[in-house]
Order: sequence, then structure tokens, then C-alpha cells
Amino acid sequence: MADTTVTTAAPPLVRRRSIGELLSSDFRALPIVIGLVALWVFFTIQSDVFLTARNLSNLLVQSTVVGIMALGVMFVLLVKEIDLSVAAINGVTSVLMAKLIVEAGVSPWLAVPMAIAIGALIGSLSARWVTFVGVPSFVVTLGLGLALNGLQLILLPATARYSLNGTGLEKIALTNIGGIWAWVVLVIGLLVFAGLVFSEAARRNKAGLETPVMRGVVAPIVAATGFGIVVVAILSAHKGIPLVVLIFAVLLGLGGYVLKQTQFGLYLYAVGNNDEAARRSGVKVDRIKMTAFAIAGGVAALAGVIAASRTLGVGVFSGGGVGGGTLLLESIAAAVIGGVSLFGGRGSIHAALLGALVIGTVSNGLNLMGVENEIRLIVTGLLLVLAVSIDKLIEKATGQQSF
Amino acid sequence: MKFAKALKIPKFASQISNTLLRGGVMVAPSLPREEIEMTDATPGRSATPLISMRNIHKRFGSLHALRGASLDVHAGEVVALVGDNGAGKSTMVKVMAGVHMATSGEYEFEGKPVTINSPTDAQKLGIQTVYQDLALCANLDAVQNLFLGRELTGSGLFGRRLRRAESEVKAREVLGRMRLGNLSLTRPVGAMSGGQRQNIAIARSILWTPKVVILDEPTAALSHSAAEQVGTLIRTLADQGLGIVVVSHDIHNFVVNATDRIEVMRLGANAASFKSSEVTGEQVVNAMVGGNEGVNLAG
Ligand SMILES: Nc1ncnc2c1ncn2[C@@H]1O[C@H](COP(=O)(O)OP(=O)(O)OP(=O)(O)O)[C@@H](O)[C@H]1O
Ligand SMILES: [Mg+2]
Repeated sequence: MADTTVTTAAPPLVRRRSIGELLSSDFRALPIVIGLVALWVFFTIQSDVFLTARNLSNLLVQSTVVGIMALGVMFVLLVKEIDLSVAAINGVTSVLMAKLIVEAGVSPWLAVPMAIAIGALIGSLSARWVTFVGVPSFVVTLGLGLALNGLQLILLPATARYSLNGTGLEKIALTNIGGIWAWVVLVIGLLVFAGLVFSEAARRNKAGLETPVMRGVVAPIVAATGFGIVVVAILSAHKGIPLVVLIFAVLLGLGGYVLKQTQFGLYLYAVGNNDEAARRSGVKVDRIKMTAFAIAGGVAALAGVIAASRTLGVGVFSGGGVGGGTLLLESIAAAVIGGVSLFGGRGSIHAALLGALVIGTVSNGLNLMGVENEIRLIVTGLLLVLAVSIDKLIEKATGQQSF
Repeated sequence: MKFAKALKIPKFASQISNTLLRGGVMVAPSLPREEIEMTDATPGRSATPLISMRNIHKRFGSLHALRGASLDVHAGEVVALVGDNGAGKSTMVKVMAGVHMATSGEYEFEGKPVTINSPTDAQKLGIQTVYQDLALCANLDAVQNLFLGRELTGSGLFGRRLRRAESEVKAREVLGRMRLGNLSLTRPVGAMSGGQRQNIAIARSILWTPKVVILDEPTAALSHSAAEQVGTLIRTLADQGLGIVVVSHDIHNFVVNATDRIEVMRLGANAASFKSSEVTGEQVVNAMVGGNEGVNLAG
């Protein structure tokens, strides 16, 4: 029996958790998932193309750049800062990378890591400015973003565009993992996930703690397997797993591991909620913030590489164009719609996926319905406000005070 | 057998709180307390104080905040430091905790003169302070707050990997010893009551296995019953041999009922000293405002 292993003094406390409390913890993602399903039902009724393997596959690919950007921004939001320069970092590093490849003949194998490293460096520099000088990150990154936009224009040639066709970089967007390999990839991913779940359960057992077998082991693995099979089946029915989708999935996995399992991840949440308490406990707050900004910058640069590969080149439009355009807004909106708090310390990794899917779905679905771009912006904007409002209402319902 | 083991401590805890709640008056469980107060020879209270501060002066520029104040802290004893606003209580405990350095005076720890230049020095000696703002993260649970800054970790990808299971066991053990076994380990502390949060903050300082715990205004923001919870906890800790210093304005309920000795400060110096069991709130307040000079029952 499980509770023979309970060595602790306290009798197990059987306390039913209220719906509000569940919504704010385990089922935090439920409203967004419901919203997403509602959108899918709506668009399936509106267009018979929407629910085809081909369109869903496209939808997923279209969501990756924003999703990856959102994933990076999330780290900065968690420490209660904001980075308005991520789109500009995305643009300027991809242009720099293209310049290196096209003009200096640098191999993409070298140019891509360089772009990511420079993105991370830019991020860490704005963090230094924020923490040392004490200027709000909002201002620092807004200014930095504009400066980087200028730099991007300077780096571009007279034609205002570098074509990356034939450089090998286009292969990132064109590669699909099809057939049996798609399933092999899924099995590897699931094995890693199951390994982590089992090792955690084994640790708890060894430490003499009860492990809720259903909730803690079976449910997550069954859910992940089911979800994985559905996604891979859909993607396989079209061309297979697009490499960019796989990159996004791997980043989500790594991000989830970092946030949930590592000390650094915990410190992100601590700093975001109460940086003074974290500092007094010996957490190097400035270093945590710097790392968060560096991750956002590096990840934004990676998203820039993927965007460049998809558009077969870079130009003024890279990184959403001057001011970041919809790329900047959608990246931050995706994280927030997915449930990352702008007030720091709250949000899980799936926020990046769910938020990007919501934004991607609206864009894709309205497109299929033949609705103009203007409407798309209005709908996305309203969804953002709605998502944050739901978040606030849940917070009120649970009566969680922040102090 | 299993059940007996699991129930022993909470039952004892409920005994304590029942005693405390009876008649709305806070009375510590009689047996351990009397043991401590009887003589200096009991293991609870040793002859050499843990901390002995003598003739402490502290100047902030021209302001003379402490004028020869003294304070002893014994193992197993709860000392209340009371006084009017600006009397120098916070300054005194800050000198004790290494936040301020005394301008002059003697500071002995376990009978040996020590120089404490920083909070870290004090912590190394085993002096922990719980400040009024508690310094907890509302979005983290009790385990995460208890271990914040000194997590149990193993090596892993991307920095240290948390050892959640071990942390939970250690947290249960510490909380169990403090008779706080009922605290949820997995709820964010932001969703807990003020008293529970105060107790987690105290538990956090206990995790360092200190010898002295200083609490500045631990009941200021608490309801009467939450203050009683804190009082119970402080008593439990003292019974385990810790020296506790409490700064409080809650004379009539908390100070008189939950402490052993009351040191009254006025204008940066000691005005009076009482045994908590032999004094009324009125007498203490009189000494605070200067009505009852030179009473010294506990000294
Ligand atoms: N850092 C400081 N710099 C200058 N003066 C100070 C400082 N800290 C305290 N003081 C002064 O020292 C005196 C004693 O202050 P202290 O905070 O110790 O009083 P207290 O007894 O804790 O009062 P309260 O009950 O209001 O908390 C006051 O006059 C205060 O203004
Ligand atoms: Mg004070």
C-alpha cells in the first residue's frame, strides 16, 4: 500500500481543492484549450478546408516563428521584465547572418550559431543596462529595438534584400521528416519524457513519499502519448513532421525542463514574484535576469533564422519590419494569451504553444474564410484582452493575494 | 503502530493549541515551561547566556539611539523586547543581527566576545532574523520557500537539477518538529493565511539550525488566533533549546502570555525587566511610558 511508506508526522491531509484553485494550478491551461477548441470548431464549420491534414500542418508551421519568439519572451516576462527588442533582434541577426553567408561566404553551419550567440549577447546587454543603471526594461528595449532596426537597414545592401536561395539555409524550412522516421522521432521524444516522469516517481518512492500513480505517472504519459500520436498522424498524412515544427517541439521540451526541474527555473519564478526576497535569500537576481534576457535574445535570433529560411531571404521586412510590426506584438500576445503573467512569476511552458496556436488559428482560419487582414488584427487584439481578463477573473476567484 | 506514529505529534500540537485557546487566554503548556523557569541548572536554560549584550551604544550621526542598553538571551527562553516607538528596539535587534554595528559596548556569544560586522557573521554564529515583511515568494509553495537560495540539488542539464522529493521529506521533518505538520507543502504561500505565512517564514529560519531566532513584530499583521499560532510555535522552538527574541507592541495578549521575560526599553536604555508570568500588561505599559521606575523581577 502506498501510505505504508509515509514516514512523516502529519496525517495525509485530504482537502478538496476548489474549482478556482484547480484552475489556477493544474488546470491553468483549461480556458485556453477550450477557447482553442471553440475556434477550431468554428472554423471547421466555416470552411471545409480548415480541418484537413494539409491545412493543420500549414497552421502549425505558420505558428512556429511566433511560438518560438513567445517561448523566449516568456523567460523575460517571468522575471517581471519585458523585452520589446526581440523582433528587432530577430531581424538584425538574420540580416547579419545573411550578410555573412552571402557576402563573406561563411558556412550556414557557422553563421547560424553566430546569429544565435549575437542575439543572446544583445539580450544580456540590455539586461545589464536594466539592472545596473536601473532604467525600466520597457524603455531600454524599446530604444534598443529602434536602434537595431536602424542597424538592420544599414546592414542591408542597396537592393534592400539578401536572397538565401541555394545557400543551404532554405533547407531548414523545406525539410520534413516523413514515413517511419516521424514515428521514430515521436517514440524518442516520448521515451525521454517517460524517463523523466519515472525518475521523478522513483525518487519520491525512494524518499518515502507517496506518489499519486494515476495523477503523477500514468496520466501525463498517456496524455503525452495520445497527443503525440494525433499530431504525428496528422502531419504524416501531409508531408511528415516539418523540421521547424520539430525544432519548436524540442525547444518546448527543453524550456519545460528548465522551468520545472532546474534551480534556475525556480529562481525565475522567485525573482518575478519578489526579487527582494530572492536577493536576501542569496539568489543572484541580476544574473538570473541577465540569463532570461539572453535566452529571449538567442531564441529570437533562432526564430529569425527560421523566418529567413521560410521566406528564402531577409530584407527590411525581417523581424516584422521597422518597429517590430505584428511579429513583436504577436510574440508577446502569444505568451500572454497562453497564460504568462505580465506581472511576473506566473506561466508554464505550454503557454508559448497554446498562445501561438490561438494566434495562428485566427490568422489561418480568417484567411480561409476570405476575411481581410484588418479584421484579423481586430480579432487577435480582442482575444488578447479576453484572455488576460479571464486570467484576472480566475485570480480574483481564488483570492490569491500577492504581497 | 503506523497510526500511532503518524498521529503522535499533531495530537500533542492540538493539546497545546487547546490549552492556548481555552478561555481566550494564551497559556503555554505547563510542564516544559516550568521546567525551564525553575532554575538555571535545567538543560533548557544554561548559566551562560547564548547572547550577552552589555552597555551598547549606537549613534546615527548626532542621534543617540542606544544609550547603554543591555540584553541577555538564554537558550530555551523567549525574551520580549518592548518599548515605545523610537525606544531603540529595532536598533538593538539589528545590532544583534549584524545589520548595524554598535558604536560601543560588549557583545558576547556563548560567553566569548565576538565582533559581528555583517548579517552573515551573525548567521554563521547561528543567529537568524525573521523580518516583518517575511520575504516569501507568494507564487512558490512552502517547500520552495523554505529552501529558497539553498535548494537541495543534483547535477543536471542546464545548471543544477532540483531534488524535489528530498526537499519535501526534509521540509516535512522540519515542519513536523515545529508541530506544523498540517501545513500544505504544495499550495502557493500566497493562498495561505497570514499566520501560516508567518510560521513558514519562521520555519525557514529554523532550517539553518540556528541557536537564536530574532522576530521583529511577528504578530503585527495577524489576527488574535493567528498570533496565538505564532506564540505556540515560538514556545515549541524554545522548548527545543533555542533562544528567542521577540520585538512586539502587542503587550496585553502576545507579550504577557507567550514570552518568559520582558525587557522594557525607553530612550535607548533598559527601563525595566519582568518575568512574564508575574506581571500584568498594565505594569509593562507603565514601565514603557516611564511610570514604574527600576522594577527588576527577573534579573
Ligand atoms: N538607520 C537609521 N538612521 C538614523 N536614525 C535611525 C536609524 N534607525 C533608527 N534610527 C533612530 O533611532 C531611534 C530608535 O529607533 P528604533 O527603530 O530602534 O525604534 P523602535 O523601538 O524599533 O521603534 P518602533 O516601535 O517605532 O519600531 C529612532 O529615533 C530612530 O529614528
Ligand atoms: Mg522598530
